[in-house]
Amino acid sequence: MKNLVIEPTKYTPGINFLFDERVLEISGESYPENTAEFYSPVLKWITEFLKINESKTITVNIVIQYFNSSSSKIFMDLFDLLNDKSHEGLNIIVNWNYLEEDDNMLEYGEEFQEDVDNLKFNLVPRKSI
Amino acid sequence: MTKSLYTFKENLAKKGVFLCFSGPISHDLMVEMGDVLKLKMQLQEENISTILKVFSLLIEQTQNIMFYSAETIPEPENANNKLHLGIITVSYFNNSYFVQGGNKVKTSDVSRLEEKLSKLQKMSKEEIKEYYRAQRRLTSPKTSKGAGLGFIEVARKSSKPIEYHFKKIDDQFSFFSLKSTI
Repeated sequence: MKNLVIEPTKYTPGINFLFDERVLEISGESYPENTAEFYSPVLKWITEFLKINESKTITVNIVIQYFNSSSSKIFMDLFDLLNDKSHEGLNIIVNWNYLEEDDNMLEYGEEFQEDVDNLKFNLVPRKSI
Repeated sequence: MTKSLYTFKENLAKKGVFLCFSGPISHDLMVEMGDVLKLKMQLQEENISTILKVFSLLIEQTQNIMFYSAETIPEPENANNKLHLGIITVSYFNNSYFVQGGNKVKTSDVSRLEEKLSKLQKMSKEEIKEYYRAQRRLTSPKTSKGAGLGFIEVARKSSKPIEYHFKKIDDQFSFFSLKSTI
């Protein structure tokens, strides 16, 4: 599989999925005009990626300053995919980066953390995002 | 119009409205409005948390108009796409920010929307969060272009219960307005 790299725009995040390293990063802002259309290749890539039998740890870095409600659903779908896979014994880490002063992003992170019963979901405060 | 434009502007200023757009709303326009809002609030030295809350309400309420307004015109470049019409304002009054959005809806949709909104209006913060999480797990309803979470998100971020109003224009259309507070 090839890496998935999508350049960020003002309202869509940068996607940097590295196949060999098994590090997946989503960064920037997320309020696309058509959420399903933007995230379709992203979810497709992840679905194919998770089918591969490989025991090395997967690290997912979420570094988002703002995401709208449609994106919230996509993130939930994404975390569910990862969570299901982690039940097979695979070590999957999610780093939810958030701006230190942004209590909202912390709260959303905490909720995702509660909603995934098997992922290592870390909340990472940052001085800048 | 020229004489009364000053009066119109002054009326907006009296109500603390500092951002206002009425007309067909494109995604690009919304993005630019968002930028201007952030800049204005940074100049007012608001903390980042408040800025992001008001920004997110602007985006959610504008996207609500863009997805659901019953008043549309075809896009100039592509007649298959439509631009949705509505009005969006952001104001600062008595130490609070208010985001108000309004658009036409089909009168036949009013009771369904009213049911959703009155439910949200009566919920506590905790209940809204629980409801948000439960809805997020469902597949999107057929009537929804987003995830069906828009109103819940607005209710969630608003520091006071949301306010809404439906005004019947005729048998076909009503005007829907929604107000959030930070």
